[in-house]
Amino acid sequence: MIINLAWKNIWRNKTRSFVIIGAIALGLFSGTYLSALMTGWVMDTVNADIKINLSHVQIHDSTFLQNSDIGAFFNKTAVEQQFASSNINGKMTCRLKLNGMLASANNAVGVTAKGIFKDTEMTVSDIATQIPDSFGVFLPDDARMPVVISEKTAEKLKVRLKSKIVFTFSDIHGNMQSLAFRVSGIFHTSNGLFDEANVFVRYNDIFPVTGLPDEAVHEAAVLLPDIETCALDFPKIKDLYPQLKVQDWKELNPMLSMSLQWTNLMSVIIISIFLFALTFGIINTMLMAVLERTRELGMLGAIGMSKRKIFSMIMLETVFLTFVGSIIGIILAVALLLPSLQNGLDLTPLIGNDFEDFGGFSSIVYPILNVEMILEIIGLVILAGILSAIYPARKALKLKALDAIRV
Amino acid sequence: MTTIIETKNLCKTFKDSAQEVHAVENVSLNIAEGEFTAIVGPSGSGKTTLLNLIGGLDNATSGKIVIDGQDISMLSEKQMTEFRLRNIGFIFQAYNLIPVLTAKENVSFVMDLQGRKKSETNARTRELLEAVGLSDRMDSRPAKLSGGQQQRVAVARALASKPKFILADEPNANLDSKSAQHLLEMMEKLNEQEKITFIFSTHDPRIMAKAKRIITLEDGKIVSDEYK
Repeated sequence: MIINLAWKNIWRNKTRSFVIIGAIALGLFSGTYLSALMTGWVMDTVNADIKINLSHVQIHDSTFLQNSDIGAFFNKTAVEQQFASSNINGKMTCRLKLNGMLASANNAVGVTAKGIFKDTEMTVSDIATQIPDSFGVFLPDDARMPVVISEKTAEKLKVRLKSKIVFTFSDIHGNMQSLAFRVSGIFHTSNGLFDEANVFVRYNDIFPVTGLPDEAVHEAAVLLPDIETCALDFPKIKDLYPQLKVQDWKELNPMLSMSLQWTNLMSVIIISIFLFALTFGIINTMLMAVLERTRELGMLGAIGMSKRKIFSMIMLETVFLTFVGSIIGIILAVALLLPSLQNGLDLTPLIGNDFEDFGGFSSIVYPILNVEMILEIIGLVILAGILSAIYPARKALKLKALDAIRV
Repeated sequence: MTTIIETKNLCKTFKDSAQEVHAVENVSLNIAEGEFTAIVGPSGSGKTTLLNLIGGLDNATSGKIVIDGQDISMLSEKQMTEFRLRNIGFIFQAYNLIPVLTAKENVSFVMDLQGRKKSETNARTRELLEAVGLSDRMDSRPAKLSGGQQQRVAVARALASKPKFILADEPNANLDSKSAQHLLEMMEKLNEQEKITFIFSTHDPRIMAKAKRIITLEDGKIVSDEYK
């Protein structure tokens, strides 16, 4: 009966209840929508960078990261065998990384040439899928000395598919080596910095002129099922190679990791501000609801309703208000987010492509609806509702039946 | 007849900075089961205060109130609320129904508070609303009922808990004469047929005419106590 009465009481003043339910719904909708958008934006960036650039884990000689020295290599087979003998569920690929100049007849740019093994590279990296149709293919087996460059590099060098370009670098002995390549593919990723800095060639095409010993590589990249698995497996991989520098994606790109933490913090701050404002709204509404029912609450006490039941009734009214508002807010947010979960939300008209140049933030955002996050938000809103109802409910408890009836 | 209410040297004094007001002064009376009693007197004579003391809504400054053998001045606030729920029915001047509940729900509310079985509650609610002539308005909310009908719902609610007695504070004050007459006849019938004890605080000559006992108060003291 108390539940029935509390439910009916919230519809006693429909306008007031709709205003507070609307405020809760709007706040929750904004919080959920923004949170899903921000999480999606950052997670897209994290995943894209992992799939194209970082992988989950990278292994280098400990001195390689300081100066990208060509002599800071390790043995490919040894590293791969150690990985294969572990029970870690992941894919590994190895690369040569050579800094040098890439020149066309018109221009020259500084790049890192990644000498890759195509078969394993494609299990770890999505770079091959970043070549649009009619922009060639990723290092075809039958092509002679193919190179894959980015759209930005192609623009700078003023070259097209099948154009000839020359890569010049210093071999292990310090001698300058030049190799001529033909552009077999032009890629475009959402990370402008990555695009400008990297070109891809076959390991076997570039290795012979490096002067390095057989099976020398500079980098091993490991792709695990997801970042959660990475958090678990990273220490195991680290233990596998005590003599090498093993880093996870967070260490490799601290800014990206920071963006993720910052986004989570921003979500918490936004929701906290909303909850703080909501608390005052609920206190005000419930206080009005109690004060205008002074006589009725007195009568309830007179006919034998205990203070505990009166307190529960006021608390239940608040829970109902916040719950209804929360559900409406969540439904609104989900309804508006659903179409963009599959196709993404194109923010180009608002922010252009500037963020791509900044470091991999795509202008098309795929929001992430996290059920756990939604439940947490609903829980927090109801908790805020309960906490803010305590003062009005205590106010109702202090009413003496006789004094209240006299009002 | 069994005595159900006994007051001994009951006093209630209100104090403000300037003076003390003796609203009820040394009132000793016994009310027996089945009585139809009116407490009358001019405004400020202490009728409502006496009724509130008997109903456990207010605490006496001194003296004793024993209801059905229980000294209620010894009860805590929580115990008193429970005592009212089980033993006393109230009819207020302004009806004081719960506006969001239907007539039926208003009546069954008290029984729900008592924790009675749903089937028993439903049956008694129907029985009581039929007794007060509102079987066709069970699902109406108070706002859709006339003043007289609302007060009849209030009577049914007061009876719902099967109280030992009913306290009615100026029950006719807000009613037109026809409704007031109808309500009074209904309460008289309940008293005669079902031996329900009614205690009124009133100015209304119609209630005084029907009452079997009239206690007159002046300045908080009983100046006459007459049985008809």
